[in-house]
Amino acid sequence: MEVTAKTLDGKELFKEEKHYHTQATNCLNEKMAYGAQNKTSYVRDTSLQPYKSKNETFEIKLPEGVRTVDVTVELNYEIQVPDNKVLIQKVTKRVTLDR
Amino acid sequence: MKFLSLALALVLLTMPFAASAEKAKTIDELAKMFDSSQCKSCHAEIYAQWEKSHHARPLMGVAGGLMMTPVVKASAFKVNNPKEATLKTFPCFKCHLPQAVAHAEDSVAQELTEALFVASDEKKSEAEKAAAKAKVAKLQITCLVCHNEKAITHRLVEGKPEPGVIYGTKNIDAGAHKVKKSVIMTQAIFCGQCHGTGPNFEFDYPVQCATLYGSYQHNYLSNGGFESCQECHMKKVNGKADHLIGPNFDDKTQTAELLTKSIHLDVQTLGYQWLRKAGDLRPMVVVNTKINHDAGHRIPDG
Repeated sequence: MEVTAKTLDGKELFKEEKHYHTQATNCLNEKMAYGAQNKTSYVRDTSLQPYKSKNETFEIKLPEGVRTVDVTVELNYEIQVPDNKVLIQKVTKRVTLDR
Repeated sequence: MKFLSLALALVLLTMPFAASAEKAKTIDELAKMFDSSQCKSCHAEIYAQWEKSHHARPLMGVAGGLMMTPVVKASAFKVNNPKEATLKTFPCFKCHLPQAVAHAEDSVAQELTEALFVASDEKKSEAEKAAAKAKVAKLQITCLVCHNEKAITHRLVEGKPEPGVIYGTKNIDAGAHKVKKSVIMTQAIFCGQCHGTGPNFEFDYPVQCATLYGSYQHNYLSNGGFESCQECHMKKVNGKADHLIGPNFDDKTQTAELLTKSIHLDVQTLGYQWLRKAGDLRPMVVVNTKINHDAGHRIPDG
């Protein structure tokens, strides 16, 4: 999942990614590995679990003079490698401090 | 009618129906032993679905790749020469080519390794590489793998799958071939044989691959879920179970449709000024995201 915030003229103020998947090592060292032949056991699991919500909070501190930003949240599914992905959900919202 | 009977008899005669006492020595022999191309004549729609599925290319991976190449060239199982390969070189066979475990000689592993070496050798011609790749592609999880070889799990009480028998969801006496009921075929445990539970400790170097069934058991059932893998991934199309068993990751449109339907994203935002301390207001935007999904297992998994 990628969260970005841009000013109305397109300047990126914020970008953060969250990765949801099992993470494994070969248990002989501390390095995470891909490929079943290299993985021996999971050491961490951030994947999306059934019946459980995955909740995140992103705090974006705005620079002086900026009161409105466009926030975009993209949820992608990566197939084997990061570049081979499909878009699952995309939400864009304009957020302003003005009342 | 006579023609039909003759045709059915011929189909029966030519069906290898697996489980031969002789073990396959070559890729062609193993492919022939589990060849299911005859199924197409009566089950064309199901066969067409299967042809697009990952079960039809279990050693290829996605996007026409050759996922076994790193196994033999850059892992604990690597060999310097294809002749060094044995069935133990490919722990992946347990699920990616289960028929090889019981019905193939080490020579099949050597031939596969040779093909993987050639297909990834930059010095080889495109024709040679394509031929090698085509050889790997012959090794598939065919109809007979699920409907015979993997159809019985409780062998102590039910015995081994019988040669010449197709196992399905019910007994059928009439027809082109004998169909016996596999009690597990509609249950999650059937898929769980391969879409596994955790590290595979039976190998000299334990490997961790698919853990869908473990996730299903420990995180779906425990929260009250009752549906089986088949109920979601083999929904009926024209009255018959869909043998594409999606997703098909080579079809990005279909994959996106499936995932978009199953995975939900809610985004809430707030713009305000956070008061750190008296006189210190800081302009802030807060984004809260919530992801839910309808699957009976973790996402992603395999």
